[in-house]
Amino acid sequence: MTSESGTTQPESIEFEFDGHRVHAESGQSVAGALHAAGEHIVSRSFKYHRPRGLLCMSGRCPNCICTVDGTPNVRICTQAAKPGMVVKSQNAWPSVKFDLLRIFDKLHRFMPVGFYYKRMYKPRWMWPVWEKFIRRIAGLGTINREHGAEGVYDKQNLFTDVAVIGGGLAGLNAALAAADAGVTVTLIDEQSELGGHLRHDPDLAESIISRNALASGSSASQPDASAFRLISLSDLIRRVSEHPAITVISSAGVFGCYEGNYLGIQQGQRMIRLRAAQVIVATGCWERPLVFENNDLPGVMLASGAQRLLHLDHCQFPGEAVVVTDNAQGYRVANQLKAAGTRITAIVDVRDNPPESADGIRTFRGHTIISANGSRHVSGAVIAPLAGHPKQTLSCRWIVQAVGFTPANSLLYQNGCKLRYDESVDQAVVIQHVPSMYSAGAVNALHDPRDAALDGQHAGLAAAESLRSPRLCGETEPSIAEATQRRGERKEDSVPSCHYVSPSGAKKKFVCLCEDVTEKDICDAIDEGYSNIETLKRYSTVSMGPCQGKMCQSASIAICARHNGQSIAETGVTTARPPEQPLPLGVLAGRALHFSLVRRTPMNAWHEKAGAKMGDAGNWKRPQVYSSVDQEYEAVRQRAGVIDVSTLGKIELRGADVVKFLEFIYPNRFANLKVGRVRYGVICDDAGILLDDGTIARLGDDRFFLTTTTGNADAIDSWFRWWLAGRPEWDVRMTNVSGSYAAMNLAGPRSREVLKKLTDADLSSDVMPYLAASECQIAGVSAIVLRIGFVGELGYEIHVPSQFGLHVWEAILEAGREFSISPFGLEAQRVLRLEKKHLLPGIDTDALSNPLEADLPWIVKLDKDDFIGKESLARAQQRGDRNKLVGFRLSEFVVPDLASLVLCDGKLGGRITSCGYSPAVGGTIGLAWVPANLARNGETIQIQVNGRMIPAVVQDEPFYDPSGSKLKS
Amino acid sequence: MSFQIDCPNCGCRPVWEYHYGGTPRQRPDGSATERQWAEYLYNRPNIAGEQTEWWYHRSACKLWFLVRRDTRTNQVLETKRFASATE
Ligand code: FES
Ligand code: FES
Ligand SMILES: [Zn+2]
Repeated sequence: MTSESGTTQPESIEFEFDGHRVHAESGQSVAGALHAAGEHIVSRSFKYHRPRGLLCMSGRCPNCICTVDGTPNVRICTQAAKPGMVVKSQNAWPSVKFDLLRIFDKLHRFMPVGFYYKRMYKPRWMWPVWEKFIRRIAGLGTINREHGAEGVYDKQNLFTDVAVIGGGLAGLNAALAAADAGVTVTLIDEQSELGGHLRHDPDLAESIISRNALASGSSASQPDASAFRLISLSDLIRRVSEHPAITVISSAGVFGCYEGNYLGIQQGQRMIRLRAAQVIVATGCWERPLVFENNDLPGVMLASGAQRLLHLDHCQFPGEAVVVTDNAQGYRVANQLKAAGTRITAIVDVRDNPPESADGIRTFRGHTIISANGSRHVSGAVIAPLAGHPKQTLSCRWIVQAVGFTPANSLLYQNGCKLRYDESVDQAVVIQHVPSMYSAGAVNALHDPRDAALDGQHAGLAAAESLRSPRLCGETEPSIAEATQRRGERKEDSVPSCHYVSPSGAKKKFVCLCEDVTEKDICDAIDEGYSNIETLKRYSTVSMGPCQGKMCQSASIAICARHNGQSIAETGVTTARPPEQPLPLGVLAGRALHFSLVRRTPMNAWHEKAGAKMGDAGNWKRPQVYSSVDQEYEAVRQRAGVIDVSTLGKIELRGADVVKFLEFIYPNRFANLKVGRVRYGVICDDAGILLDDGTIARLGDDRFFLTTTTGNADAIDSWFRWWLAGRPEWDVRMTNVSGSYAAMNLAGPRSREVLKKLTDADLSSDVMPYLAASECQIAGVSAIVLRIGFVGELGYEIHVPSQFGLHVWEAILEAGREFSISPFGLEAQRVLRLEKKHLLPGIDTDALSNPLEADLPWIVKLDKDDFIGKESLARAQQRGDRNKLVGFRLSEFVVPDLASLVLCDGKLGGRITSCGYSPAVGGTIGLAWVPANLARNGETIQIQVNGRMIPAVVQDEPFYDPSGSKLKS
Repeated sequence: MSFQIDCPNCGCRPVWEYHYGGTPRQRPDGSATERQWAEYLYNRPNIAGEQTEWWYHRSACKLWFLVRRDTRTNQVLETKRFASATE
């Protein structure tokens, strides 16, 4: 169905509903097609399994929730029918037409409010039985695990000057006014086409156009209209759509407004995150249902729902209808239904003297509806004067209610605006906006189209204006003042009736359709002490259903107020939190590929080609093992191996105060570090906790080259900068060169011979001893070479500019070929370093480990001047060690899991942090935290492995080359 | 948290580019008592209102700078470099 031309023949399509075929016109909603086909029961209620039919036709109630093509909980009134679609009703067994679980409706005596708190916790042993039962009966929809997500859930980030939420009259005017004032505007609208509720209320749209004609004809007599232009709806939509500064996001819902005007928007399977400088909330209102007996029967509809079916889905309402109303909309809908061929039995108007009247339609003034008759569909309406009697029954198939609105203000609440219930308009209105947030139109209680349009223009101009001169917090926005003034000018006749609940009635009167909570349930809950609106909500579950209280919030507050003898303003509202509407989890979880960083070293392609098994180390990809851990281990111990350590953090420090800085940062000494030497160091915080370790090389008098561990590269960078930020007078210039250098560790007894082939530099132990640092040419590239040995062999850590990393790596492997060199991965390195008892910060240490206890007491120089952690370490030393990190050798040939427990006299004593099979020892070795009294060489500790205690012997010395002769060779 | 902070180098950027560094506190010197050290190490003020705090522009320029923020609303009232703060 195309709206542009009446000549297009509507294409007929077919889909499936609960196993049988339904015809639809193209463009029609699934719900519209079901209505046209006479399928009026589309779901069953949550608790009592009562039949439910279409109510709001705008995605704001729970009544039309179905499973569509395997996706549960789809609202079929906002879902366009597509050929071949498979629609299934939910929450019914065996079917919505005949649901055996309807028996619950008769058992309501046993399911009073809060029944799951009262009935199902005693006796305790029954709980598993209850739980199974509840799990099967409760919940909405079933996830089809085979089905998976169709298409891709995605994310998008957008920016705008002004975001306008809502494409109705106020929103359209706001967008146009702001854009004309020269700022960029993004208009977000939930419908597929702009126009708000005027889309389905053609008479109202007409009335603005004619009034506009009037206004422009005599603008002199309309002082406030002179500043603004009112144009017809279709003109307005065209201008907004064509405006180069306006972006329209249609069929999209704003589910959250977060601080900094950050909007979360769902558009189909996409989440849009929109950052706006200014936000205008023009979300309007939705119609609220009246609470009366059997008000949930199929055939009972909201007026706007009926209008949507009439005008958007081109449906009819065969038979008779009763319209219950307290405003002009009821009369419009009655006339529209009549024009579409429905017989209007009567208009039942709550007001005694309504200004409206309807030609040729019987009207009961000062009356309301008491009850809907019928079991599976409306067959009649019982009406009475407001006092409740005498009653009379009218026969009808449809009950259409037009009894007022609930403002869609939850985004305003979410963002911290202050609102107060105003009885004169029967609606909460903003009394204070937060900065950079505006509201306009019906959400400001301006329901007259002309008022809404002007309010929108005011807000649009104000938002554009404040982009030029930012407003201060708390200053009243002009549009509120304007709105308040205009609301004050409302005519007597538009005073609302505040009619929420019909009098009397013993049958179920539903307040919350989602959760099947009745008026009686709410009153009972209040009588039981849950009289505060927040506790009432939690206890009775009112407003906690899929519609998030859209259908029941107003009435539940009104009933709570009445039962407590309070006013609605005193009763308050429950806290509004995102999401404003239910979201598919896929939208939240959807991919954001470009946000997940992957880092690869310059030698990465080589590793992959060599078939290395790659693993994650933070954002980095690192080779775990190339061929076999044993072979790689053996190459390093017997001949030569090389490992890619480009991922190390690397920092260059220059300046006159670098030594002072290092003396302050590290617990060990650096003043005496000579140029051309490198030293191991650990970094502690002021509590003396070990944060990281690394090497510090002095390349010149005031030039140092530092490394950090891979995992802490960023944290140490930030740590250094933080201490420097507070000491601007220190001459320390810091450059993070982590990415600028590729690095590799060449290790093994033959490594000197390998390296010799690639450099003219003298590598002999006299010139380049253990812990020497030099700058020289390796394979034709300037390199920093550190003679250190993490794995316990003669070794060189070689740093070269990244772009030459692969070249030098390949040159080393080539030069080492005659010695059968092998690349080695992290797994081999872990065994090699464990044999030397080298700890890994963050793996062998945690947030309670200090270097004294972590077996590094020699590194702490308490006789130094102040350094970070000195005070705490001095106190820790006085206190003595409580626990210590020790090496152990297991007596059996098993490898316990990490974090296996160390037990002392049957009590928890410690845990192991590293362990593995050591070829050098021929058994399992590891590191463990144990109580200080057990941390003695030769002491036996008990380690729990698979529930069994296995003895292990504490060993002080490294497991491999304890004297370090290989290292220093 | 989705507010924005004005980095003195980079301008207005979302909060997740930054890292919070606590409120500036005087580090005790060697003569401080154990209680003063414990206060410095383990106690943090938890102010409902305006406070000045360290922030680090971790995803961009790596500057540590000072931010005055209202903890109740996350409104950023002022940002400045440390050096200029002492002037
Ligand atoms: S009828 Fe579909 S949500 Fe109300
Ligand atoms: S009607 Fe939906 S939560 Fe109450
Ligand atoms: Zn920055």
